[in-house]
Amino acid sequence: MAFEQIVFYAFSAVLVFSAGVVITVRNPVHAALFLVLCFFSTAGLWLLLRAEFLAIALVLVYVGAVMVLFLFVVMMLDINIAVVRQGFARYLAVGGVVAILLIAVMAMVVGGDYFGLERTPVPEPIGEVSNTRLLGLQLYTDYVYPFEIASVILLVAIIAAIALTLRRRPDSRYQEPGRQVEVRRGDRVRLVSMKSEERR
Amino acid sequence: MVALSDYLTVGAILFGLSMAGIFVNRKNVIILLMCIELMLLAVNINFIAFSYYLSDTAGQIFVFFILTVAAAEAAIGLAILVVLFRNRGTINVDELGTLKG
Amino acid sequence: MTEFLQTIFIGWGLPESLAIGLTILLQIALILGVLFAAVAYLTLAERKVIGYMQVRVGPNRVGPRGLLQPIADALKLMFKEIIIPAGADKKLFLIAPVLAMAPSLAAWAVLPVADGWVLADINAGLLYVLAITSMGVYGVIVAGWASNSKYAFLGAMRSAAQIVSYEIAMGFALVGVLMAAGSLNFGQIVASQQGEYGLFSWFWLPLLPLFVIYFVSGVAETNRAPFDVAEGESEIVAGFHVEYSGMAFAVFFLGEYANMILISALAALLFLGGWLSPFQGWTDSWLGQSSIIWMLIKTSFFLFLYLWFRATFPRYRYDQIMRLGWKVFIPITIVWIVVVGGLVMGEIGPWFAAA
Repeated sequence: MAFEQIVFYAFSAVLVFSAGVVITVRNPVHAALFLVLCFFSTAGLWLLLRAEFLAIALVLVYVGAVMVLFLFVVMMLDINIAVVRQGFARYLAVGGVVAILLIAVMAMVVGGDYFGLERTPVPEPIGEVSNTRLLGLQLYTDYVYPFEIASVILLVAIIAAIALTLRRRPDSRYQEPGRQVEVRRGDRVRLVSMKSEERR
Repeated sequence: MVALSDYLTVGAILFGLSMAGIFVNRKNVIILLMCIELMLLAVNINFIAFSYYLSDTAGQIFVFFILTVAAAEAAIGLAILVVLFRNRGTINVDELGTLKG
Repeated sequence: MTEFLQTIFIGWGLPESLAIGLTILLQIALILGVLFAAVAYLTLAERKVIGYMQVRVGPNRVGPRGLLQPIADALKLMFKEIIIPAGADKKLFLIAPVLAMAPSLAAWAVLPVADGWVLADINAGLLYVLAITSMGVYGVIVAGWASNSKYAFLGAMRSAAQIVSYEIAMGFALVGVLMAAGSLNFGQIVASQQGEYGLFSWFWLPLLPLFVIYFVSGVAETNRAPFDVAEGESEIVAGFHVEYSGMAFAVFFLGEYANMILISALAALLFLGGWLSPFQGWTDSWLGQSSIIWMLIKTSFFLFLYLWFRATFPRYRYDQIMRLGWKVFIPITIVWIVVVGGLVMGEIGPWFAAA
């Protein structure tokens, strides 16, 4: 077996295993951590497909930011696991049947008959071209407008997330650095000249 | 050699698993959000596999945009979740039926 | 060196794939060995430097002038019991220190220390480092949560918010560097700082605000004083690692110091021209030659800054940390990225003159 195949099967096995754990494990914190493992092994698969920029971006965006957010929320909310796990066993059968049917149907479509090595051979290596440069060239020429729209979507998401969760608390006190800096000695300290008292 | 069909099969299995996850965890909004992320990941694997085997970067551009939108979706989804928990004290989907006529 | 080792291994009659694998393993072992030695003596240097700054002598009992102190510390920590608190999530509790240390070691795979001295010379080196270091936060979060302790959890939450916030400023600072260099590869970033003006051709001058912000964010990322609210001995005992003892604690400690070395080496590579000589173009003697010694001097300089900060500044208050990160650093970096864009487009100065 070639080295590439070993790597592919290793990453795929980890990916499928951890995806299975994500959907079945009791504790949401464990689920989130296994989801991180999913993203990580997917990044490995993408590296095999020579998509290095996206693989690294996946780790940077999902593992480094989105999943931290997930963990934050999961840890801060005091979730009653017993309530949300009710009926798990009952739905497990239905879910299992649906999943197996879905996978079987899709495997028939995407199987080796249509997308095997004969139909779609591995492309020739294109030499020393940086994947990042390639993507950048396309992104800033052909896809400029979608790119701008994506940035607007992100801006809207930032504002929406802040607006949704912002709580004005009347009892919390803020400091204003501008005013702190402005303070002069005369505002705070008053020199009083007093006659010293007689020693008794 | 790893064929295109192998990558597509991994994507299909991942999609099936996340579908099952939505069925079995139908009360827990957080796990539901995670399952949606998994589904998007499965789709992204297919895009990148096709992009490599057909030598067309358009697939990778698409994945780039999906990642962007999915990150925005996760941020807003979690914000809604936090507000929901703050107001109702639960994330059980069954108890969120106030809009039902 | 790589070819040399490989020819030796092939000469021994090993197949080529095995020879390559063995060579890579040896190189990793070499990097890790040097790194661990550096971490050990960084702890000694910290205690000595801070000692002298506070008019004390620092450790001077073990070995000549206290030089064997780190070894004694390591032995002591190794033989202590690792206590797992009741109610802790045992698996996560034990895996957290590893999660905290692994990224700071993994990042060294792409960092060159001299021209061509690098384990993996990949195209997207800078991006890789950014992605790998962003994973260090997991060790802290998982440790705080798995400990099942209020102090640990508070420390973890503080640290997670802080690291995620400062990563944005740091990322923007790195964007400025990659715009200036036009490459994500460390070798090319250093090469583009070459010039006849010696230390004035390096990027610290045109990118001065980004340079300062990068290093201060680096201090915040590593949870070092004055941004050490995650540990904050006087507020929350020891933050996320209160419940850790023995080797588990030592691994956190190693991770923190390895991270400091990583940030310092990055600062030296990106802004101070890595292994380039500060007198390049002024003299052709040995002073003007670029070598690994310059890299070591620059890295040590930043490490000294870390220790100096710790001895000098009082701890930031938490809301002030957040204000500094979001309201000061991020706007400045965004503005300066635009300025750098203008400089690069206008091909201004010795830095961006058309090649």
